[in-house]
Amino acid sequence: MSTRQDVTNNKTALVELKDLNKVFFTDEVETNALNNINLTIYKGEYLSITGPSGCGKSTLLSLLGLLDTPTSGLYQLAGHNASNIDPDERARIRNKEIGFVFQSFNLISDLTVAENIELPLSYRTDLNKNQCKDMVLSSLEKFDLTHRANHYPSQLSGGQQQRVAVARAIAGKPAIILADEPTGNLDSKNAQSVMALLDELHQDGATICMVTHDPASAERAQRVIEVFDGKIVSDYEVTSTQAIAV
Amino acid sequence: MSFWIDIKYALRLLLKKPVFTATSVLIVAIGLGLTVYTYSLLNQLIFKPLTLNGDTHIIAIEGEYKESLGRRLPADPYHLNQISAESELLQGMSLYSTGIRTIGGLGNKTSSRKLNASFSQWNLFEVAGVQPILGRGFKPRDSDIGAERVTVLGYEVWQNHFAGNMGIVGSSVQVSGVPTRIIGVMPEGFALPAVAQIWQPLSAEILKPTEPANRGHLLALARLKKGLSLEQFQREMRRILQRHYQTLPQNFAWRASSPGGYITAFDFKLTNDKVFHHYSVFVAMLTVVLLILLLTCINIGNLLLARVNERIKEVAIRIALGIPRKRLVLQMLWESIFICCLGGLVAFSLAGWGVNVSNSVFEQIFAMSGEKPFWWQLNLGRDAIIVLLLAIVFMILLTGLIPAWRALSGDLNGLLRDGTRGALGKKAGRANKALVVTEIALSCVVLVVATMLLSTSYSAQNADYGVDTQNRITATLRLPSGTYPWNAGAPEARKKRNDYYYQLKDELEQLPNIHAVAYFSSLPGTGGGNSHFEVQGKPAEVFNENPVWNFEIVDRDAWRAVGMKIIEGRSFDLRDLASDSRDLENTESPVIINVAMARDLFPNGDAIGQRVRSGNDEGWQTEWRNIIGIVSDTVHGSTMQATSAQHNGYGLMDRRNWTMNIIIHYSGLQSQAESSLLQVINKIDADVAAYHIQSYDNLIKQPMMLVNAVNTIFLWCGLVALFLAASGIYAVAANTITLRSQEIATRRALGARDKQIIKLFLKQACMQLLFGLALGISLSLWVVSQITKSMIIGGNSYLIGLAGIPIFIIVMVLIATYIPSSKITKKEPSEGLHQS
Repeated sequence: MSTRQDVTNNKTALVELKDLNKVFFTDEVETNALNNINLTIYKGEYLSITGPSGCGKSTLLSLLGLLDTPTSGLYQLAGHNASNIDPDERARIRNKEIGFVFQSFNLISDLTVAENIELPLSYRTDLNKNQCKDMVLSSLEKFDLTHRANHYPSQLSGGQQQRVAVARAIAGKPAIILADEPTGNLDSKNAQSVMALLDELHQDGATICMVTHDPASAERAQRVIEVFDGKIVSDYEVTSTQAIAV
Repeated sequence: MSFWIDIKYALRLLLKKPVFTATSVLIVAIGLGLTVYTYSLLNQLIFKPLTLNGDTHIIAIEGEYKESLGRRLPADPYHLNQISAESELLQGMSLYSTGIRTIGGLGNKTSSRKLNASFSQWNLFEVAGVQPILGRGFKPRDSDIGAERVTVLGYEVWQNHFAGNMGIVGSSVQVSGVPTRIIGVMPEGFALPAVAQIWQPLSAEILKPTEPANRGHLLALARLKKGLSLEQFQREMRRILQRHYQTLPQNFAWRASSPGGYITAFDFKLTNDKVFHHYSVFVAMLTVVLLILLLTCINIGNLLLARVNERIKEVAIRIALGIPRKRLVLQMLWESIFICCLGGLVAFSLAGWGVNVSNSVFEQIFAMSGEKPFWWQLNLGRDAIIVLLLAIVFMILLTGLIPAWRALSGDLNGLLRDGTRGALGKKAGRANKALVVTEIALSCVVLVVATMLLSTSYSAQNADYGVDTQNRITATLRLPSGTYPWNAGAPEARKKRNDYYYQLKDELEQLPNIHAVAYFSSLPGTGGGNSHFEVQGKPAEVFNENPVWNFEIVDRDAWRAVGMKIIEGRSFDLRDLASDSRDLENTESPVIINVAMARDLFPNGDAIGQRVRSGNDEGWQTEWRNIIGIVSDTVHGSTMQATSAQHNGYGLMDRRNWTMNIIIHYSGLQSQAESSLLQVINKIDADVAAYHIQSYDNLIKQPMMLVNAVNTIFLWCGLVALFLAASGIYAVAANTITLRSQEIATRRALGARDKQIIKLFLKQACMQLLFGLALGISLSLWVVSQITKSMIIGGNSYLIGLAGIPIFIIVMVLIATYIPSSKITKKEPSEGLHQS
């Protein structure tokens, strides 16, 4: 029986969350979405976050993706202190270090497949036009989308759109891929196909963090974190049946 | 019950967003208010036919419009009588002319007062359907040769000059020096044909000529029979006239082929030359206002559409719960109904205020001349209320149906699943872009035209007319025809008039506060109109290709008083008169020309001694005039009028009968100079009237006051259009951003910085600006090309209008786009992605 300690030996921490809190303030109501979250994600890990609706897993993913700011606590990503940085710096880190895969694909409808994949690269200041073009072509080939390069999202099936979204997510070789219910809008066949893609990326060394409510999808990851009422209630390796108390 | 639930819900929604509601009501109020006001203005001044006390239209029958003079010509009564006798489509027709008369008091105890007079056929009041409130109107016998001189007074003259004397009918007064009996008083507000204060009958001799005359001298008004149109009468009139033209002597044959018709019939309100001359401007104004109404509808529709988009999920839930389509549409309409009705109420008040201000402005414009047409009295009557109600209904439908269409055409399942929320469909995106382009183009047109017109009239007001205006007063002198008869220009009559003018001048110049006195038929800065002239030995092959000039007559010592200077040659002096001024026909007729004319026509510098004469294409010519001097340049007429010429010629007053304007250079107080003038006039001859006494600066500004008022309305239209465009573009931008919130959040998630997001929208705004301004400027140029048929637009005005306004619009659009796009970047990206 392997332990978490054994699995994490010789691995570099990519993401560290320390005493992270997120409180939402509306007109008269305070909602504690996350309470004292402590979490480390290692390079090359395949992590899934599960929990019932409203438990805070998507909020956790937003904070991980720098799509939102924590109310308090520390967040380190790939050596950057990402807790209290300005919006431009957050955007730069998101662009370079994070790739997103959304439940509703979130492709830009006015852009072609190739342009969608190129979009995050176009925000980079360290790449020239030719380099971008090469990276896009490489992505298209990898995901077998070359023949769809000039098509628009409305001309693709759900599964194809999600493939484009995944291609877009990894085009810039980010440090971590964040996937929010990537199969939520897909039928079982396409869902399997997308999960197989993520498996493949992980095999190639990608660090993946996936939010899902589907236990079967969750078990495909190496490590599963359960969230409940804004707290991490369990954190275990999938190969081990022992939950590690948190 | 559901009816009240929906109403209460709509009210609650509106009260929940007070800023949105107030802005929408304001937009509706401004758009509708301007529409109703402008409709009332144009309808009353121009478009609504005059009916007076009848049930059919009153029309005018007059001679052709002369571009060079900027006015219509009278017609030959020989033909007018043929029309009256042979037309089967008229209830009645009356011939008339207008002029000026002076009137004394009862028993000659009061000094004379100048009045606008109408000289008419006996049946003028019958055709109008208005009878005197005291005494009687005219009878046919009043026109008989040798009949007693009679007159009918206007109400205001009766009240103010005769103190409302109830026994006035039957009294005798001096009218232009001729004893005349007062036979009637007209009711208050009646001034037909336009500004008449006193009416007198025309003699039978003038009314019924037995043969055609070279020049027309009468006008006519008529009333159509019931159920007939102006077009029908125009056709009938053409047939009648063409028949008679065939029988005319050869020298009148040209009348049959006169372009536009030698005699024309049209709506009576267009007899006002200022209105006719600027008709295209008024039509442009109406078009602009209708466009503003459209812009208002688009804006409100857009604002409501934005709200529907924000609430689209709620709408989808209602549909999922089974709301009938009709009820959903009605729910969308209620908000629109409240906004438009409340806005309509405010609009009515705004329009009322505009009407009151306009009536005050008209009083000011015509205070000096007393020439406000009697129908230029605005009010918000039944027509205006109907227009307002129709506009409100139109607005409710347009602004309510757009959100309803959006609500019904959305993807229900997609909306409920959250999958497609925040995604802007291609069609909606194109519609938004088209809206912004339209608003940019519309506001550009209105603002460019308004700015150019205002800039031009401002320049005209401050133009250098080549004269000194400081410490100068002017007045028009009216010598009573009874004691100073025209007598067809007979030498004795001319001498008597000129003797009076020179005596007045001499006595005034003796006074210590008067430096110089001069006479002009039209002073520089006023008048205008032009005619062709011919240089001896250099006639053009076609007469109308001869150059044009403006010809005025002046006294022998005119230049000093206005600061003009003789540059070459000499001025008029006694050498230009025969030893007996009654024998002027046998001496050479002198003329003085301006520098521009000398330079352009005689570039060799040999103008002195050359000869010129005026003429027209009908064969009429003056005598040859010998150029004796060259005077400094001035402009007669406004610098913005197309009828103002660059070339001026001046003839000597002594040789012609004319109504002269006097100009007095004084020192000290203006009021003292005015008193001096009136005192000397009364001393020499109390029957002579001086009117329109004012400063020279005011005289020059007068003709432009009406144009300025119209231009100010245009500017207000422009500012309203700008406000609507700014709010509309802001709403469209905000709406677009709401609809693209998911896309924006995705881009930010992928690493787009805030500046890049803002830049994205600014770039799109620039594209819309490009199309909108290209369209707007093109339309503006077309509108201006129509306006320049009657007005000259200065070069600076083009620059201000075509460069300045687009820059202003660019800044406004960029700000209107920047604000909502920077607002969304202040939110966290997760809000747009609905991560929760």
